[in-house]
Amino acid sequence: MSVPDYMQCAEDHQTVLVVVQPVGIVPEDQFFRIYKRIASVSQVSIRDSQRLLIRYRHHYLPENNEWGDFQTHRKVVGLISITTCASAKEWPQTAERFHGQKEVYSSTLYDSRLLVFGLQGDVAEQPRTDVAFYPSFEDCPDVEKRVDDFVGSIFIVLESKRLDRATDKSGDKIPLLCVPFEKKDFVGLDTDSRHYKKRCQGRMRKHVGDLCLQAGMLQDALVHYHMAVELLRGVNDFLWLGAALEGLCSASVIFHYPGGTAGKTVARKPSISQPADAGKRHRPGAQEVLIDPGALTANGISADTSTEIGRAKNCLSPEDIIEKYKEAISYYGKVMTRNESTNLSEEEKIQRYSILSELYELIGFHRKSAFFKRVAAMQCVAPTIPEPGWRACYKLLLETLPGYSLSLDPKDFSKGTHRGWAAVQMRLLHELVYASRRMGNPGLSVRHLSFLLQTMLDFLSDQEKKEVTQSLENYTSKCPGGMEVITLPDGLKLPPVPFTKLPIVRSVKLLNLPVSLRPHKVKGLLGQNMSTASPFIYSPIIMHNRGEERCKKIDFQWVQGDVCEVQLMVYNPMPYELRVENMGLLTSGVEFESLPAALSLPAESGLYPVTLVGVPRTAGNITVNGYHTSVFGVNSDCLLEGLPAVKTSGCLVEVIPSLPRLQLSTSLPRSAYTPQPTSKEELSSTVSVQLFNGETQQLTITLENIGSEDIETLELTSKIVSTKEKVFGEFLSWELEEALSHLPLKSGQALTLTVSIKVKLDFSGQENLLQDLNDDGISVTGLPISSPLRQVLKPRPENKTVSSESGKAEYSHIKTLEAVLNFKYSGGAGKVEGYYRELSLGVHVDVEPSVFFTRVNTLPATSTRQCHLLLDIFNPTEHELTVSAKNNQELVLHASECQRMAIQVDKFDFESLPQPDQETARFTNPKQLEEERQHAQGCQINSKLGICWSIISFQTNENEFH
Amino acid sequence: MAVCIAVIAKENYPLYIRSVPTQNELKFHYTVHTSLDVVEEKISAVGKSLGDQRELYLGLLYPTEDYKVYGYVTNSKVKFVIVVDSSNTSLRDNEIRSMFRKLHNSFTDVMCNPFHNPGDTIQSKAFDGIVSGMMVQTASYT
Repeated sequence: MSVPDYMQCAEDHQTVLVVVQPVGIVPEDQFFRIYKRIASVSQVSIRDSQRLLIRYRHHYLPENNEWGDFQTHRKVVGLISITTCASAKEWPQTAERFHGQKEVYSSTLYDSRLLVFGLQGDVAEQPRTDVAFYPSFEDCPDVEKRVDDFVGSIFIVLESKRLDRATDKSGDKIPLLCVPFEKKDFVGLDTDSRHYKKRCQGRMRKHVGDLCLQAGMLQDALVHYHMAVELLRGVNDFLWLGAALEGLCSASVIFHYPGGTAGKTVARKPSISQPADAGKRHRPGAQEVLIDPGALTANGISADTSTEIGRAKNCLSPEDIIEKYKEAISYYGKVMTRNESTNLSEEEKIQRYSILSELYELIGFHRKSAFFKRVAAMQCVAPTIPEPGWRACYKLLLETLPGYSLSLDPKDFSKGTHRGWAAVQMRLLHELVYASRRMGNPGLSVRHLSFLLQTMLDFLSDQEKKEVTQSLENYTSKCPGGMEVITLPDGLKLPPVPFTKLPIVRSVKLLNLPVSLRPHKVKGLLGQNMSTASPFIYSPIIMHNRGEERCKKIDFQWVQGDVCEVQLMVYNPMPYELRVENMGLLTSGVEFESLPAALSLPAESGLYPVTLVGVPRTAGNITVNGYHTSVFGVNSDCLLEGLPAVKTSGCLVEVIPSLPRLQLSTSLPRSAYTPQPTSKEELSSTVSVQLFNGETQQLTITLENIGSEDIETLELTSKIVSTKEKVFGEFLSWELEEALSHLPLKSGQALTLTVSIKVKLDFSGQENLLQDLNDDGISVTGLPISSPLRQVLKPRPENKTVSSESGKAEYSHIKTLEAVLNFKYSGGAGKVEGYYRELSLGVHVDVEPSVFFTRVNTLPATSTRQCHLLLDIFNPTEHELTVSAKNNQELVLHASECQRMAIQVDKFDFESLPQPDQETARFTNPKQLEEERQHAQGCQINSKLGICWSIISFQTNENEFH
Repeated sequence: MAVCIAVIAKENYPLYIRSVPTQNELKFHYTVHTSLDVVEEKISAVGKSLGDQRELYLGLLYPTEDYKVYGYVTNSKVKFVIVVDSSNTSLRDNEIRSMFRKLHNSFTDVMCNPFHNPGDTIQSKAFDGIVSGMMVQTASYT
C-alpha cells in the first residue's frame, strides 16, 4: 500500500529521488549531520546546458517505489547508506547489510554508495568507487565531493535510459508500463491490437517526458508530454492521460516559475547553474503550441524531437496550467472511483482531511478549511479507532475556531447581540466540551460549557438550556468553575467566563443610609470643603462628561462599620428557577466586608430587586466594581465595566469614619402617623398623644447607644411644624443637663430624658358653637379685657379615649399640633472629621377643647380694692370636671353643662406691667408689640386668678391652667 | 429543487436560513457557511475588474455530491444562497436567476419596513412566504 506524500509540489517532477539511510547502528544526531551535508548537494550541473536536481529522503516506503514507472520522480534511483564500523572484522557483515538494503530498491536503483565511518586500516585503503571510508564523523571533508560524483553517475544512467527509450525503434515492441494495481488487469490482453500498441506508445512517451524533465531538458519534456496526451486521449487511458497532463503542467510550472512555487519550502539554493533569469517569477508570452499532428507517426515515437522543439515553445500559459490540472484531476477521479479498493486507514483519513484543510487555508478559504479540520478532528475519535485521540481531536477543534469566527473570550460577545453562525458555533462548542471531557480535563469542559451558556444563551432552546445547565452542574460537582485563566499546553489562554447573563443585571444603585444613620457635616467645616470644588457658585459647564458617569462620586456618604446597601435589578432569562448562591459585591478602595446573599429567581422573572449588603471596615472612597455570583457551581466575577447595558448612577461613594448609633424609645406608644407633607425631614419615629387643651403630659425618652463608638456630644432641639394655630407657652420643654452628665455614653449604655408636652391653643374661633348652646347675648370678644382672658382660660385637653368615643360634631373641634424633636449626636472618629448624626422624633398631639368661658363680667365687690369676676364656664367634654380658682371652692361641671362662677379678685392695673424698653420697641413692629403686651397682660391675669380644672374620672392628673 | 435558502448579512452572519428537510438543518448551515468562501473570492475577483458594474448573480458556487450551491450578492453586499438538489437536472440557470430576483425583491420589501432594524434576523411573514413558495414550487418539479 502506497502512502501519499502531501508535501510534493510541481517542481518535484524534475528531481531524482535519492534515499539516504543508516545501516546498522548509527547515532541519530550523527546521521542527520551527515544527511544534511549530503542534502546540501541538491543540484548538480552536468555539462553546460543540463543539470540534475536531487530530492533526498531518509525514509521511503518501497511500496511507493512501485509507482516509479508511472512517474519517475517517485522512483528511488540512488541509495546512500551511512554506517559505522569499528574494526575490519565487522566489515564483511556491514557490507552484507548494505547489499541487503540495496535489494529493497534494486528494481529501480541506478547507483548506490556506502559511507563508512570509523574504519581505518587495510580495508579502508582499498580504492572502491561505491564505498567511502572515513575515520570519524568529524573527519570527512569530501562527503559533498563524493555525493557530487555519485549524482554525476546517476545522471549518466538517467541519460542513457532516456536516450535508450527515446530512440526505441518503431519496429521494436514497446513494453507496457503499468501502475501496481493495473498489473493483474492486463493478463491475457491482446497485445497485438492497435489499441494496445497505442496505449504502450502513449505511456512510453509520457515516461520519456518524465526522464527528459529529470534530465533538465524541459523543452523535450514538453513535447513528449504533448504527444503522450494526444496518444492516450485516443485510447481513453485515463490514469496515464492524467499523469501525462500532470507532467505537462509540472513542466510548464517549472518553466514559468523558476524560483519555485512551494511557498513553504526554502527556495532552492541558486547554486551553480540557475538560469540567468532565475529571479523572474513568471515569463509572459509563453504560449501553448499545438502539436503538429504530422509529428506523430502512426508507428511509434519519432526519434528526433528537435523538429518539434524548433517549432514550439510548447509551454502552457498559467491559465491553461490550471485548466489542465483540472482535467488531470477529473481523469484521476474516474480511475479512483473504479478502484475504491483503496481503503484508507483512519490515520490516512485524518491526514487527508488535514491536508485538505491546509490547502483550503492556503487559497484563503478559511471556512472550508475549518470545515475539513473539524472533519479531521472527528476522524481522530471515530468509533472504529480502538484508542481515540481525544487530545488530537481537541487540538484540531481549537484550530477551527478562527474559521467559524469564534473567539473564546467572552468579552468579544459583550458588544450587543451576538452575530454569527450560531448553529455551527454551538456545535463546535459542544464538541470542544465533549472532547475536553474525554481528555480527562473537567476544568476545560466547565470553561467551554460556561462559555457556551453565556454566549449562546439567546440561541439555545428551552430544552437545550436545561440540558446544558444539567451537564454543567454535573461537571462542576467534580471541578467547580472559577475565574482563573486556563492556559493550554500550546500556550492558548482561555479567559474566564463570568455569567453576566445568569441572572441579567439591569441596574445597580447604591443606596443611602436610612435617614437616622446618615452622617451630616458640621456647617462650619462645610464651607471649607465647598471652596475647593469650584470658584463658581454656578457654572453651566458640566464637570463630568458622560463617559465618567460611572466614576462619578455619589453625593451621600457611607459610614465605616455600618451596613451599606446596593440594590440590583435582576432578571432571570432561564425557563426555570435560577438559584444564585453567594451573591456579593466586588469593591475596591476600602476594606469591605461583603455579606453574600443567596437568591432564587423564578422562571422568566421580570425585573426583580436584589439588595446586596456589606460593611466598609475602613474609611475612604469606595468603588463598587461589580458583583460575584455562584451559579451552577461556576463562580463568576462580573465587572460593571464589561457590562455597558447596566444602568448605574455612579459607583463611587465616600466612606466616612465610624459614628455612634443611637436608639430611641419612648414612654408613649409609637404611632404610624405619617408626618405632615410640609415637614421635609424624615422622622425616625413618631409618638402621638391626645390631650385636652391646657393639659400637660410627660414624655420619657430613653436613648441607648447601640453602636460601637461612644457618644460624646448630644444636642436637642425642637421645631413646631404646621403652626397655623397660635401656641401659647412652650409646647415642648426639657432639662438636658441631667442627661448630658452621663456623656460620654459608652456602647450599650442608655440615658433617659423627660420632655413635657404642654398644649395651650386658642379655641376662641369656635364661639359659634357656643352660641348655639348658650344663646345669651354678650360675646366675650367685645370686652376690652376679653382677649387675654379668653386665651388664658382656654380649655384643657384630656386623654385619648375621648376622641374615639366622641361624636362627629365634637371631633371637628380637635386641633392638631405637631413638632419634631431633633437629637444631634456624635462621637468617635467621625466626630473628629466633623460629622454628626441626627435622630428625630415626631410628636403629634391631638388637642381637644376643655373649658370654655362663654361670658366674662365684673361686679363691684364689697371692698373697693376688689371686684367680683363672673365667669360663665362651659364644659364641652363628656366628662364631669371641676374648676377651681385661687381662694375659691371647686365648681363641679357635668358634661356639656354651663355654670357661672364668681371669683373675688384684687383690682390691678395693666400699666404696672413693665414696658418694653425703647431700644426693642424701635425695631419691632407695632403689631408684635401689641401681641407681646397682650401676652404679658394675660400672664398677669393668670397669676392673679390661678384657675385650674380637672376631670374627675381621670383624677390621676391634676391639670393646672395658666 | 431549492432545499435551502439563506440570506447572509454584509458581515457574513446569517439573517435568514431555512431548509426543507428540517431534520438535518445543521448540514445546510455548514454548506452555506463554507460557500461564503467562494462568494468572497468571487466578489473580490469581480470587484477589481468591473468596479461597480458587477453582475449580482454569481452562478454556481460549487457542486457537492448531493447539492449545487448558487450565490447572489446585492450591491450592499448582502448575500443570497440557494442550495438545490444535484439530482434535479431540469433546473436551468435562468430559473435560478429568477428565484434570486424574487428573493431580492422580497428582501427589499423587508428592508422597507420601518419597523425592521437592518442587521436583525428576518422575521417577515411575507418573506417567509416567498421562500416557502420557492421551496414548494421546486419540490413539485421533481
